[in-house]
Amino acid sequence: MNSATIVRPEISSRCESLLGAQFVLNDTAELERYTIDGVSPQVILRPENAEQIAATLRIANEENWVVVPFGGGTRQHVGHAPERVDVVLSIERLNRIEAYDPGDLTISLQAGANLLQIIGKCAEHRQLLPVEVPEGATVGGALAAAESGPLRAGFGAVRDFCIGVSFITGDGMSGRGGGRVVKNVAGYDLMKLMIGSCGSLGVIVSANFKLFPLPQQTITSICEFELLSEAIALRDWLLKSPLSPIAAEILNPPALEYLRDTEARDPDDWAPEASGVAREAQWQMAIRFAGSDRVLARCRRELRSSMSRELNGSDEADFWKRLAGFEQRVAARHRNAMIFHVNVPIAESQAALEAARVAAVDYNFLAVIVGRATVGSFVIAFAPLAIDPPAVTQFASAASDFRSLLSKSSSALVVRCPREAKQHFDVWGSTPTDIELMQKVKRALDPKGILNRGRFLVA
Amino acid sequence: MFSLGVAGKLRKIVGREGVLDRPEDLMLYEYDGSLAQGTPKYVVFPQTTQQVSEIVKLAAREGLAIVPRGAGTGLSGGSIARNGGIILGFARMNRILDIDVPNLRATVEPGVVNLDLSNALEPHGFYFAPDPSSQKACTIGGNVAENSGGPHTLAMGVTVNHVTGLEVVLPSGRIARLGGEATSALGYDLTGFFVGSEGTLGIATAITVKITRSPEAVATLLAIYNDVQDAATTVVALTSEGITPAAIEMLDGWTLRAVEASVHAGYPLDSAAVLLIELEGLREAVDEQAEIVSNLCSRSGAREVRRARDEHERQLLWKGRKTAFGAIGRVSPSYYVQDGVIPRTRIPETLRKIDEVGKKYSLTIGNIFHAGDGNLHPLILFDNRDPEQTQRTLDAGREILEFCISVGGSITGEHGVGMEKQDLMCTLFSDSELDVMKRLRDCFNPDSLLNPQKILPSTRTCRETIAPGHSSLNAPVAAAPELR
Repeated sequence: MNSATIVRPEISSRCESLLGAQFVLNDTAELERYTIDGVSPQVILRPENAEQIAATLRIANEENWVVVPFGGGTRQHVGHAPERVDVVLSIERLNRIEAYDPGDLTISLQAGANLLQIIGKCAEHRQLLPVEVPEGATVGGALAAAESGPLRAGFGAVRDFCIGVSFITGDGMSGRGGGRVVKNVAGYDLMKLMIGSCGSLGVIVSANFKLFPLPQQTITSICEFELLSEAIALRDWLLKSPLSPIAAEILNPPALEYLRDTEARDPDDWAPEASGVAREAQWQMAIRFAGSDRVLARCRRELRSSMSRELNGSDEADFWKRLAGFEQRVAARHRNAMIFHVNVPIAESQAALEAARVAAVDYNFLAVIVGRATVGSFVIAFAPLAIDPPAVTQFASAASDFRSLLSKSSSALVVRCPREAKQHFDVWGSTPTDIELMQKVKRALDPKGILNRGRFLVA
Repeated sequence: MFSLGVAGKLRKIVGREGVLDRPEDLMLYEYDGSLAQGTPKYVVFPQTTQQVSEIVKLAAREGLAIVPRGAGTGLSGGSIARNGGIILGFARMNRILDIDVPNLRATVEPGVVNLDLSNALEPHGFYFAPDPSSQKACTIGGNVAENSGGPHTLAMGVTVNHVTGLEVVLPSGRIARLGGEATSALGYDLTGFFVGSEGTLGIATAITVKITRSPEAVATLLAIYNDVQDAATTVVALTSEGITPAAIEMLDGWTLRAVEASVHAGYPLDSAAVLLIELEGLREAVDEQAEIVSNLCSRSGAREVRRARDEHERQLLWKGRKTAFGAIGRVSPSYYVQDGVIPRTRIPETLRKIDEVGKKYSLTIGNIFHAGDGNLHPLILFDNRDPEQTQRTLDAGREILEFCISVGGSITGEHGVGMEKQDLMCTLFSDSELDVMKRLRDCFNPDSLLNPQKILPSTRTCRETIAPGHSSLNAPVAAAPELR
């Protein structure tokens, strides 16, 4: 499995002359830290700027080195396992705010900037960059992975407010789309291409965003239901009503368990209590509203008949923080969980969530679900049951069964599963978008396929 | 053996009535809403995706360029046939294929008129959010090509924010699907990449869009100023205070008087500028915000703030804004519209600059723009029969756009690059950045069969920009378009 055993010292020496020896790391401990699905790189590079990234990629392209662009490492578990990794190109030194114009509600950031710190900085100016990411995530990484969370319901996805991007192609050319203004149609929209490309088309070096005014006050209505269909009925009512929540999450009964604090256990040992807990708990809709006193009073009034309780202040903030970290919470408890990012047409949500439950149960998993009910975007974890831990092929079978129940417009990407299981199936699954065109785009920007080779949907 | 000419072959695909090739018919397709001109050899009106595919294959065999065209309302020459070739008109592909309220989607053919979709959605309580001023005529296919905006894009976003799926015909004739009904599709976001590509990547033959719930309440305010700078600083204040109206439009004194002479929208004739501000949403929110905005306008120097009392008054205020370009046509033989974008904080100084440019070139420039987005539409008036004045107009336009670039802005916010601003692309992007875009175009459209010589400058044009006083519209590219 680990093919990094052939040591190629020439990579280190060539990079040292390019970046300086202190920015080329190849001691064992470091290489271990940057291991992806069991594959260690030859060398870790920490370039200072876009020019150094371009120079490195030009050599890598000539020499056919496989390059992994690396931000905070919070999403490196996505994709097929790499066959080999020669160079990890860390963007950690490109971490500055290039420009922040609060009066214009725009910000320009280098790709390695820590996104949560940036969000904190914007909050000081009562402004919001509405993307939810794990601790340590970088701007470039969040774009590459198309990160989104509960706030997507109210503010759109990152594709809707990223207004410019600069990147270096696989063969070392600088590319750029958009700019620093909020409306711009000069040239092709390269932001859309880079967002969600998982580092397979280029190394993002900087990006610009439109910001939003930070909501001054919010409340969260928790509504509980015996049945999924009742929760979906509330979702449908919400879509027709003039209330415009900034988040509307659906949670299945087992999901609540993962929002609680529990003492850390051995991740191989812990398993959800399949029936006991689940039967008592209920489906939840957590609906977050922002606005003035009068607006919030109206939202309360309209939801009164469905609402079980209201969250405010620190309880509310804490709830959403836990929910945004749902995926990490599941992963921390189960080394062997399989986590999907599922996107379906809105009206197919109920069928998709039921399909997940059925497919999970058939292979001894418990489906744990949270998601954007008004968008049709869900995080679904298949948590292994302790009674009979799954064999590696069961992950493939469960994923295949689940996907077979979805419509062709839908997708179910496995963002996380044991690496042994990855060998047995396609973690990406199907897409409605033309594969041949995607392949052409990949070859146009990374002619030799050195960027994240073998890991993305198309090569 | 008898062999058909190209016109005959086209007629075989789309039927007799679907092909124009007589000079007097072709003349009608020489123009769009810009100053550019070019005569096609044929105009063809397909009725199905399959026909589009066959036409494209035929064009490739005959070595003819294809230029897709919606209603021809574009403002950058995007639908002009530069080198003859075939104009693919979508007037007969204008069916709404599906309205899917539970999924918040509609699927349309490219020739569907923007406003017709909103009208069809109205009984369901929904509408299509992008609202270009030409929405009574322009098509959704055209909106996709240009990534069109409109006054309400301040809050609702431009076309790309509302498209989730496309069926496209590639230059090979192959029919490809991009995205679908889900909000995001796995893999590269080719749907998002395609929107705004100005017909240079493929031809959209079916478009799936998001539909938006109609707001519960709307308030339209008219803030009236004695000094255009006060109106500009109001926009800066609204933005930095974090108030996000659905739309903030600005008309300067000259423009509003021209509009009043034509439609009587109710703009006071003695004012130096008005802001048209619209608030949408929950009744409670709209009432409160109207009060906040009104106070802020007054503090920033508005002499009066009026609120439209009813839907009739509201429609009248908007009619003034949306028919402004037409109104200008009554007072000047020609006008040249710019589409520069600047950071909102730079609006006051940019308006001063436009004023200076007008004086420098002895030209009247009216200002009407999407102030909330920083998207300017200076209207330069000129007489197209006077070549010297025409050249001054182009030079003035270029100077304004160069200023926009110098303050961190862009040359086009919603009209597109087309064949009008190609050389300015070199000012905005480096050679390498343009080369990356060209590589991407070549993945889709390798022989530049579709809409050739648009968006990307030819290398020659780029080099020529170094020469002072050059402008794209009379550049010696392969077939120089003539000014109208």
